This record gives sequence, C-alpha cells and structure tokens, in this order.
Amino acid sequence: MLEILNLNVIIQLLINGILFGTMYGIAAIGLSLIFGTMRIMFLAQGSMIILFAYICYWLFALLGLDPYISLFLIVLLGLFFGAGIYKGLFKGAAAEEDKNISLLIAVGLMFLIENLMTVFWTANPRSISTGYTSLVFRPVGIGIPFTRLMGFILAIVTTAGVILFLKKTFIGIAVRAAAEDMEAVTLLGINPHKVNSVAFAVGTGLAGVAGVELATIYPFDPFFGFIFVLKAVIALAIGGMGSVFGALMGGIILGLLESLASFFIGGGWADAVSYGVFLLILMFKPEGLFVRSVKKA
Amino acid sequence: MKLSKHIILPAFALIALVLLPFFVNAERSYLISSIFLCFCYIIIGQAWNLVAGYTGQISLGQHAFFGLGAYTTALIWLHDVTKTGYYFDPVTMFLSGLVPAIIAVIVGIPLLSRLKGDYFALGTLGMGEIIKVIFVKGGSFTGASDGLHLPSGIYSSIMPYYWTGMLLALFATLVVYFMIRSHTGLALKAIREDETAAAARGINVLKFKVLAFSVGAFLAGLGGSLYGIYLFHINPESVLKLDWTLYPILLCVIGGAGTIAGPLLGAVFISIVFSVADIYFVQMHPVIAGILIIVVMKFMPKGLIGLIQKK
Repeated sequence: MLEILNLNVIIQLLINGILFGTMYGIAAIGLSLIFGTMRIMFLAQGSMIILFAYICYWLFALLGLDPYISLFLIVLLGLFFGAGIYKGLFKGAAAEEDKNISLLIAVGLMFLIENLMTVFWTANPRSISTGYTSLVFRPVGIGIPFTRLMGFILAIVTTAGVILFLKKTFIGIAVRAAAEDMEAVTLLGINPHKVNSVAFAVGTGLAGVAGVELATIYPFDPFFGFIFVLKAVIALAIGGMGSVFGALMGGIILGLLESLASFFIGGGWADAVSYGVFLLILMFKPEGLFVRSVKKA
Repeated sequence: MKLSKHIILPAFALIALVLLPFFVNAERSYLISSIFLCFCYIIIGQAWNLVAGYTGQISLGQHAFFGLGAYTTALIWLHDVTKTGYYFDPVTMFLSGLVPAIIAVIVGIPLLSRLKGDYFALGTLGMGEIIKVIFVKGGSFTGASDGLHLPSGIYSSIMPYYWTGMLLALFATLVVYFMIRSHTGLALKAIREDETAAAARGINVLKFKVLAFSVGAFLAGLGGSLYGIYLFHINPESVLKLDWTLYPILLCVIGGAGTIAGPLLGAVFISIVFSVADIYFVQMHPVIAGILIIVVMKFMPKGLIGLIQKK
C-alpha cells in the first residue's frame, strides 16, 4: 500500500478530481440559475444531461459527428428545450405560492425522461470512443487524459460565458435582479416569464455542455441522471446558491473529495463521504463556502 | 349524522375487501396480489402524508426507513433474535417499525432543528443515500449488494399477506386519523401553516416535528417489514431504492396530501394504473407514473380529493 502512496499518485488523484468535478460544477451552475429565479430545485437537470449525452452519442454513432462539433448543436437544442419546458410545464406553476408543485413537476419530468430513455435505448451503459478517447498527455510524468482536459477547458469557458452574460447583457442583469427580488423586477416592467424562461434555457443549455462532457469522458446509462443531479445539488450547497463561480468551485471540491475518498477509503464509500459533507454543510454553513453571508436588514 | 356518513362508506369498502378473497381464486388471482401491493402503498403513503401532508416537512428519505424495516425483519429472522417464530410475527414487525422510528429520532433532531423547506428535503435525501451506502457496504452482516435471503420455503399462500396488509393499512390510516384529530394534530397543522406563529403560541415545534417524523418512519418501517416478508430476498436494489420515496409522494399528491382519504384514493388509483400498465405496456409504468405526476400537478394541484370536494 505504502509504495503506491507517493506524490505522483496524489497529484494524479487531484487532477482527476478537479477535471471530473468541473462537470458537476457546470450542472450546478444550471441548477443555480433556475433556482435563482424560480426558487425550485430542477431535479430533472440530471436526466436532461443524460438525454443530451445520448443525443451526442447518437449523433456520433449514426452521423459520425465529432462530439465537440455536435456540442454547438446540442447547446442550441438545450436552449430551445429549456424555454419550451418552461412554457409548457412550469409557466403556470411558477406563479403559485406553493413551490412543491413545481418541485413535483420536475420530479415527474425526471421520471419521464429517465424511463423513456430506458425504453428506447435500454439500460446498458454507453460510451463514445473516438480517436482521441484514450489520448493522454504526460507532462512531467502525470497523465492528463485529453477528453478530461477538454472538459475542463469547456467548463472554464462556459463559466466565463455565463458570468459575462449575467453581467453584461440586459436580460442577464434582469436574471440576476430576479434572483434578488422577483417582485421588484416585475415592478420595473420586466416580464417575469421572460426572465424565468431565459434562466431555464441557459440552465438546460448548460446541461447540454455537461452532457457532451459526460459522453466523451464516462460511460453513462439512463439512471445515472439522478445520481448526477444529486451531485450537482451537493456542489451547489458547497459553493453556495446564487454564485456562478461558487457553483463551479463547489463542483471541483466535490470532485476532489470523491476522487480522494474513493482512493483512500474505498469506491462505494465515496458517496457516503460526499453526502456526509453535504449534510454537514447544510447544517452548519447553509449559505455555502463561497458566498459571503449578507443578512438582510 | 355527519359521522355516520363518514363511517358507512369505509365500512362497506372494508367488508367488501374482507369478503373478496372468498369469491375469487385467491392463490392465482392477479387481483389479490395487486390489492396486497395497494395495501403496502397505503401504509407508506399515510406515513408520508403525516410527515409532509400534515406537518409540511417534505421528507425524501422514506425509502431509508422502508428499507430499514425490511432489513430489521430479515436480520431478526436470520439471527433468531426474539425466538418468536418469524413469519408474520407481530413482535418482529413491531421491532421493524421501532428501529426506523428510533433512527428517525436520532437523525431527525439535528435535521429538523437546523433545516427547513427544500433544505430539509435535500438533507433527508442525503441521509437516505448514506443509509443505503451503509447497507451496501455492510459486509456479511447485511449481505452487501446481494442482500439477505429469507427461507422462502415457508410461503404457502398469499392470504396471510392480504390480511396482514389490510390490517396494517387500516392501522396506518387510523394512527394518522387519530393523531390528526388530537391536540397533536392541531400542533402539526399549525407548524405546517406557519412555523413562527406556531412557536409563538407556545408549541414546541421541534418536538412535534420529530414526533411526526418518527411516527412516519415507524409506519414506513412496518410497510418495509411486510414487503420484505413478501419478497424473501432483501437487497439494497429492492427495498432501498428511491421508488419507495417516490411512490408515497406520487400517491399522496394524486390523491390529495394532507387529507385522510387522499392517500387511500391515490393508492387505489396508482395500483390500478400500475397493474394495467404492467399487463399492457411492460416496463412502461414508470413512464406513465412520470406523465401522471406532471398532469396531476399541472391541472389539479389539490389531487383527486380536490375534484370530489368541489362538487
């Protein structure tokens, strides 16, 4: 045991953790945007990610489309999907005081997508294998898989994009304002449905990015979606609601935790460790690690 | 007058259910086993109804209590703990409810005192997953992912399941009914409506929340115990899966949460849907369940009971 416990292994674990964690981070940013404006946990996010991973898989398998090219298509699709889901399912419920209605619609949607995928595409795990799937860079002896590195870069670019969108565009600013106070935003003459549907569209667009990332890195099956959204929720709790950067960092921390826990304690226990951390954070620092707690007067 | 109206219909339904097995070929009838499952749904449905419908604490950890109940039964049976003959043994079943109830008190105090609303829901979800990991990783004591095998040779007829299921469903419904009619019920509903106001009125919010949570866990454990005896093979895949949290939510929501009759209606409704779906569209029933939740929440957020009460 001891001879493998050298610095190289640790660094390798850290790198894998960070690269994998960015995927959780992307999913968490999507959840955070939707939660910000609508105050619901969009639990179907994980199933959406798997759905996009499948689309990516089929585009590759049937049309031979490279995953990184189909990414653009999928993100576009995700934007439309998100707006469509909002208009079709959540528009009425969003106005209701009782948030459980929206929460349960999301649960129903998750059930539906997950099982439709099982019926159509079976529960067998799938993975994409391109020419560069097994490509590994080895600077200074540490292996960095190309697909994970791409995933990391994608995550950083996407996060930067979302932050720019939220800070520089009018509708982005409206989304941020709505997360603060929906009523005030409505009073300023901004249509709340527009803000909600934009948040939803961007959220599912991000699910598209995470889906492509997942499809290139990891074998997936329809039921992976639920686990994934739980991980995204944990990442969100670690990073703190309402902070894009915090959500990404939360994902990375979770990835690190899992990677280290599964090495030092054993595979199956990694989940228990991440849920344990999740519970502790919910109880003792519910505002997250990356949000300065501001008490409203 | 009002009371008699409320008693006559359920009494007739009960008599019909008691007599039903004498009119059909019980051992080979699909109907009887469907009704048995319906009883299981009622038990876990009322458990969730008490915690979420009446007290307003959305628990997403019910599958953990359900699984704990099933595992307690199996472990008591296999290790011959109580020496009481374990097939439908009331002592074993009681203990199978008690263990989850105690666990619910232990985890409920920290969770309920610190977490509210969505956060509580997520916290219970986390708790459920931790308990699941503990059972998967429990080694030979819990049988790991293969689980525990009970001596299935003892099975001779579905009838004991049917009667026990009926009794427990009745028990669960009555427990919730009498709790809600008492002062406790008033406190629980007050907490659901406005926690701060309830506390201001001198209600010990935490005490009542933990009480509801642990009674809910007790009932879920009973359901798990019964289902465990029915399966004979208890493993994390079968008794600790998230469906055991989703089904009670589904049936309460469809029937109408926060009412006594809601979960009953909901359980009957989803049993019919599942049975029909199982016959005609194999493996499609989770899809139908998903569509159902969406449709019900979109068009009648108060559930079936809302339709009846409107008339």
